[in-house]
Amino acid sequence: MTRSQDLDTIAPDDIVVVSSPVKKVQKEKIIEEKKENTSQKSKKDFSQECYNILGHSKSPLSCFLINPDILSFSEQDETEKIYLAARPHWINNLHWMLVSALMFSLPLFLPFIIKYLSFINFFPVQYQFSSLIFWYLITFIYAFEKFLSWYFNLFLITNQRVVDIDFRNLLNKHFATADLSMIQDTSSSVRGLFGTFFNYGDVLIQTASEKNQIIFEKVPNPEKIIKLLQELRDLEEQNDGEQSNE
Amino acid sequence: MNKIFEINNLESYFFIFTKGFFILSSLIYLVFALIVVKQVTSMSKSVNDKFNPILVIFSYIHLAFSVFLILTMFGL
Repeated sequence: MTRSQDLDTIAPDDIVVVSSPVKKVQKEKIIEEKKENTSQKSKKDFSQECYNILGHSKSPLSCFLINPDILSFSEQDETEKIYLAARPHWINNLHWMLVSALMFSLPLFLPFIIKYLSFINFFPVQYQFSSLIFWYLITFIYAFEKFLSWYFNLFLITNQRVVDIDFRNLLNKHFATADLSMIQDTSSSVRGLFGTFFNYGDVLIQTASEKNQIIFEKVPNPEKIIKLLQELRDLEEQNDGEQSNE
Repeated sequence: MNKIFEINNLESYFFIFTKGFFILSSLIYLVFALIVVKQVTSMSKSVNDKFNPILVIFSYIHLAFSVFLILTMFGL
């Protein structure tokens, strides 16, 4: 028997008060609720802060999605909130769009081409028809693959980590993450005529983890992304400080 | 022996070879179309977005067209 319990049995109105286990559980619950409330409040506040730093975007096909509720990824935790989802700047799609348009319109010039390449007429109509379908399928898959490479090339910033999802081509995909606490240094580079004109570039994140570099390639507004990361790191440090004080 | 190398026979050999080549290409393309469906579905599971069902539908349409391509190749 402990000393306090001993005293309590002798003198029940003693100033030494031993809290009952029910009260203890209630107290813990209140503390947890308070913590949850403050974390939700800070999440909401930071979501607003994101809008202040990065602006607003609504289209799901945008290359800069702020607080996207419609987007999630399979490795996402229940409490994890995405603050930013960035894709390479849309201007990078211009090249494959032009090539696809050229490939698509090429058969339209076939009557003119046949004048110079008369051997095509040697093939029966069925062969020409099948070749045409094949050509359009190749054109479609070229454009589709390029679109998928852009669409699934995502750089995510959440309240816990940064995530890099790459879909390099139809046979290659890549997934990398780094906790916010592991980020050591961030830098950005804007290069070239288009990069300067449309304000896009690379964001390089140096981490303390095994894979010590995460690069967000050709993302719009790299300086804003760095500012957001800085704010998040400050928030994380602040939260850590509060937790250690408690 | 001479009949084998007659112009008409050579032409038919050429078309048999061309047809074989077309069928083989379209079969390889079908495998590729199946990989596309698999990849798009798996990427849609990795990244959930509002636009994903449209991409999956596109990949299936592409697969259907590649099957149609094989059918046209066999009909040559």
